[in-house]
Amino acid sequence: MNPAKAFTHLFSPLGDEDADNYRSPGQISFLRAPFVKIEEEALRAAGRPYAFLGVPYDEGNVGKPGSEDGARDFRLSSLDYFPYWFEFNVDLNEAAIDCGDVSMPRVNPDLAHRKIYEAVRTVLKAGLTPILCGGDRSISIPAARALSDHLGESAKMGYMHLGAHLDMSDSWAGERNLTACALARITELPNLSAENTAHIGARNSFNPKDHFDLAKERGLKFVPMFEVLERGIDTVLTEQTERVWSNTDGQYLSFNFNVMDSSAAPGVTATEPGGLDSREIMRVASHIAKAGGPTVYDITELCPIYDISNATSRMAVAVILRILAEIAAINGDQVADDLRRPGWNH
Amino acid sequence: MPEPTWRPVPHQHQGPHGETAADAHIYSPQKHNGVFKAAGLRTFMGAPYCPPDRHEIRATGAKIAFLGAPWDQGTIVRTGTSSGPEGVREASTQYFPYMFEYDVDILSFFKVVDCGDIPMVPGNNARSQDYMCDYVHECLAGGARVILVGGDHSVPIPGARALSRHLAETKPEAAMGYLHIDCHLDAAVDWGGIEITNASGPPEALKLPNCAARNMAHMGSRNGLNPKDWMDFWIDNDIPIIAMSEVVEKGIVPCTERIMERAWEGSEAVYVSWDTDSLDCSCMPGTSCPECYGITAREAIQLARTMGRYGADVLEIAELSPIFDASQMSMKLACQMIYHYLGSRAATLRDKGQTP
Repeated sequence: MNPAKAFTHLFSPLGDEDADNYRSPGQISFLRAPFVKIEEEALRAAGRPYAFLGVPYDEGNVGKPGSEDGARDFRLSSLDYFPYWFEFNVDLNEAAIDCGDVSMPRVNPDLAHRKIYEAVRTVLKAGLTPILCGGDRSISIPAARALSDHLGESAKMGYMHLGAHLDMSDSWAGERNLTACALARITELPNLSAENTAHIGARNSFNPKDHFDLAKERGLKFVPMFEVLERGIDTVLTEQTERVWSNTDGQYLSFNFNVMDSSAAPGVTATEPGGLDSREIMRVASHIAKAGGPTVYDITELCPIYDISNATSRMAVAVILRILAEIAAINGDQVADDLRRPGWNH
Repeated sequence: MPEPTWRPVPHQHQGPHGETAADAHIYSPQKHNGVFKAAGLRTFMGAPYCPPDRHEIRATGAKIAFLGAPWDQGTIVRTGTSSGPEGVREASTQYFPYMFEYDVDILSFFKVVDCGDIPMVPGNNARSQDYMCDYVHECLAGGARVILVGGDHSVPIPGARALSRHLAETKPEAAMGYLHIDCHLDAAVDWGGIEITNASGPPEALKLPNCAARNMAHMGSRNGLNPKDWMDFWIDNDIPIIAMSEVVEKGIVPCTERIMERAWEGSEAVYVSWDTDSLDCSCMPGTSCPECYGITAREAIQLARTMGRYGADVLEIAELSPIFDASQMSMKLACQMIYHYLGSRAATLRDKGQTP
């Protein structure tokens, strides 16, 4: 624990002059983090481990639109939480900065993907862990390429995706960088091999045959939802984190929250029945934290206009914060036992 | 002693054409048009309205009084819970008071009455809480146990005070228990200097003269809206919390048994404060702070049934927010949490040969 920090933010607000409504943050940023421009020097100077980037881009989607609002609601939902996690006795207050949204051109997918690539590269170069919030699933294509290039050809990369769809279209109506092509492009990265790639939660029939054919051709071993149900989430995650994290120099973790059952995550672009429930995704978070966490996080396909009562963005925030909190706890970055609220007398 | 005057409202369950049998309300409609939920005056469970006055309540012989606490100005999160009582009343019109699982007519068994909503003073938490306390106390003094529907989660502050006062008047030496089932630890000794918000139920309960830490417990806590001083409160006062992770691991029934037994250990009255955000947001979107990783609908019913085996003097359901509901699922679930509690309670008493 850092003795130089002030810890009042861990506690209920004080009264009188210091009275504050914790939900009115002044500016709306991830975890009330300060905004920092995506410039290497500024990022380095911030001295924090995580950088949140909004990526309001949904022109790669092949289904219903709306995911460009995902990052906005993710930020808002993060304000409903404290940086303190009682389960881990951990303080995330100074864990992150918010880089705002990557500026997105309209009707220019190539330029948009290039900007995402450059933003992720810059953050990685500055030594921070990017947390990208989409936007549609196609943003993973430039972001994963950025990690791949950052690691270099001689390094090994791991990749884990949780989602209902394989996204293994070599091309879709002639286009090669749409959401449905994401994993097809990512498995082409030179330093990512099939044995370090994991896909968990595939189900139902938005998975055309060419997806499986290509997956087979590339030796991709995915864990479909039925296998998760049969073998249990803990067994599957133990095995799959092993695939992605062992002997790799950097890992990309990608959440499409349609991995969740539609009842647990109505606010995604392509809801699918038969998915994970919120207890299982919390177990997933814990396994990922125990594996050490990834080098890049992405969260895609949140679609607030279809959400019910903000439940999906809150779940997404809870998953990410839970990973960060457990990692902090594993690193021993806990709050001192005797720390109490100013004036505490109970 | 005059004969109790309680009888079901004719038009509520018997239809406008006058079913004559006294138990017509537990069967499919025979004479009226079949729209069984066509209500005259909308009350909870189709119970007769009774003024919240101890003499009137005693005169009816009611053993359960439903009270609405439409108050959402004690909240530190979003408002909307002032519509909670009406949400539950409306949902209850879609159910029969007969519960086949227990083979019991809970309406007649408890002679349920609806005492309406407690009046509130906008902008004044203290006065509104005084009203809440007075009304709950009046129902208890009239010989009824109370189903109290909020309202934000500041409602247990006056609610528990009312039970404490009633107990002190009737059994001066007796102790009371207080249970808090919630996603949040709710233990702000004050919040921005205010001691009576919806984040302070348990510390306020602990201040009551006949409520001690040994009869208190918390269940269902999870995730990151739990600042550190809240956790410190429970630890420093040595009150157990059963976090959601433990409920998931051990099962809802044994966990509920544990908190109920602790609450009743050596005590003679129990207040149960059940915040609906303890439930998973997939089955309870209609709450002011929906949260994932919660109690499922199945478990909520198991919880209510288990609680029914032990009983409570006040069962309070808080933080219902109908404007955020989807397809009325939250209000119907809240309604069934109460019904199953009462059904299980009735079956427990009946099987022991007791009356409510």
